[in-house]
Amino acid sequence: MNDRRALLAFGLRKLVGAVPLVLGVTLISFTLTVHFGPDQTYALLGKNPTAAEVEQMRTQLGYDQPFLLRYADYLRRLATLDLGHAQATGEPVRAMLARTIPVSLLLLAPGFVLGTLLALFLAALAAWNRGSALDRVISAASVVGMSLSFVVILVGLQAVFGVWLGWFPVRGWNVAGVADYLHHVAVPTLAFIVATLGYNTRFFRAVLAAEMTSEQVRTARAFGIGPLRIMTVHVVGNSLLPIVTRILFSMPLLVISGSLLIESHFGIPGVGRITFAAVMSGDQPVLMAVVGLSAVLFVLAVTFADLLCRLFDPRLGRA
Amino acid sequence: MSSLVVQSGQRLRAGLVAEPAGFWALVVVVLYAAVAGGVWLGWWGGDWSALAGPGWAGPSADHWLGTNRLGQDILARALAATATAFEIGVLVALTTTAIGGLAGGLAGYSSPGWADEIVLWLMGTLDAIPFYLLVAALAFALHGHAWAMHLAMIATFWTTTARLVRAETQRIRRLPFIEAARVAGLRPRSIIVRHILPNTAHILLVQTTLVFIAAIKVEVVLSFLGIGTQDSISWGVMIAEGSQDILAGQYGNFVVASLFLFGLVMAFSLLADQLQDSLDPRTRDSRWQPHG
Repeated sequence: MNDRRALLAFGLRKLVGAVPLVLGVTLISFTLTVHFGPDQTYALLGKNPTAAEVEQMRTQLGYDQPFLLRYADYLRRLATLDLGHAQATGEPVRAMLARTIPVSLLLLAPGFVLGTLLALFLAALAAWNRGSALDRVISAASVVGMSLSFVVILVGLQAVFGVWLGWFPVRGWNVAGVADYLHHVAVPTLAFIVATLGYNTRFFRAVLAAEMTSEQVRTARAFGIGPLRIMTVHVVGNSLLPIVTRILFSMPLLVISGSLLIESHFGIPGVGRITFAAVMSGDQPVLMAVVGLSAVLFVLAVTFADLLCRLFDPRLGRA
Repeated sequence: MSSLVVQSGQRLRAGLVAEPAGFWALVVVVLYAAVAGGVWLGWWGGDWSALAGPGWAGPSADHWLGTNRLGQDILARALAATATAFEIGVLVALTTTAIGGLAGGLAGYSSPGWADEIVLWLMGTLDAIPFYLLVAALAFALHGHAWAMHLAMIATFWTTTARLVRAETQRIRRLPFIEAARVAGLRPRSIIVRHILPNTAHILLVQTTLVFIAAIKVEVVLSFLGIGTQDSISWGVMIAEGSQDILAGQYGNFVVASLFLFGLVMAFSLLADQLQDSLDPRTRDSRWQPHG
């Protein structure tokens, strides 16, 4: 009972703490994409507008309002998901997001899940055989992986599997069924795994190796419990906090940079590509929505991660 | 104060002797720096944009690594791009370290207090905006200005340095010599700059190398996307060209630029590992991924 109240208080404190962050990220995204963004007046008017038409458009766009009022309006529009229409196509931004976000998730989810699991597996192998040749090979391979650029991996895999061997499509997203999906998602998934494996394996290995020396693991070994059970229940179980935090933290950042790069290079109609197109053409409503929403989502994810950690480990609530 | 710096130097030298990988990494980095120096002095790489021969020619005595689609010498471009990489890396790394060190020192020294709260809020805010979107938004706000890339990197990379320096400062400020400086009437600014920051030299040094790596990798991604290096040559620009060449079955440009990039990043990573092992082993394995 007492603990539940403490948990609630902790959650409330974290939520209140997230408010200045949300204000901060929206302020920066507003300042950059709307306040300093290009003047939209003439883009939206016909040829040779009259002075009165210009004035009317500026009023309609809110350019005659003071900074704080415009910021408040921006907040209101983000909160109510009133995101306007893309300039290039006139399509509602909300519809664009609804169309593209599922594509990006489908594109990146396999790589993210498989990459994380593979990194955990390699890290467990290395940590269990700490100091062995296997450990050294895995550690060295991690450094090599960390030194490879995502771009090089992407283009290299495309060259090998798409151009040279011709197994997978070089670009595009022509997905009607599961077979098509697997066909198109293979190279991006592989690229995502290779790009993140080095960093993740190294981090997980350090966490697991530290846990391997703990007394309870030593005791479990002394009692003759099998390696698999010790690793999954005692080592990984006890290191869940840093592992989950890392996964949650890396998710929004990696997914966004991954989708930008992969989609713009492979011509896949996900949220990364519409963002990239918006940057290139200066499409303000799209950029405003993507930057603002993803920043808010990130703050919420971090807050959620804090709560999750608190659930795993009640000691954190005391800080 | 200075004894700690000397001590770090000694530990570093001992580490480099004991660990051959770190030593060879240092040799490779020095070689790359020499290549960049030669470009700045005009010894080589100056004619990277000249249309020197037939397009997509193989390696020959005139063009050791062949030419690209337009007939530009790939080796000259790769060498000139080395200088670009160092320019970006050094500029971003030094600025980031200066800002991160000062902000972290100020926050740590004044914690708990309003200055600490402001720095923490700023770091949280900047970390919450996805990096490439910040670059995009900055490029958008600056109307595609060439410095948008540098600015975005500095604006986001300093937070990691600042967090580490802040934590270390909170530890150092309880030590007797800081107490003594305060009692002697030194102002907080002098205490931070003269007494605290020199004692975080091990963190600053490691972070500088890590930011250098991150800057080079991120430049490649941004140039590949077309919002990075402008009116100049970089490995990212070459890889972007190369990715088009590949569809025509020409691999030279892409392979050369990728190998140059990989060599420098790998050597610098090993060097950073060595630095961290000798100076600051606690943070070694939690290295952040620089989105590239």
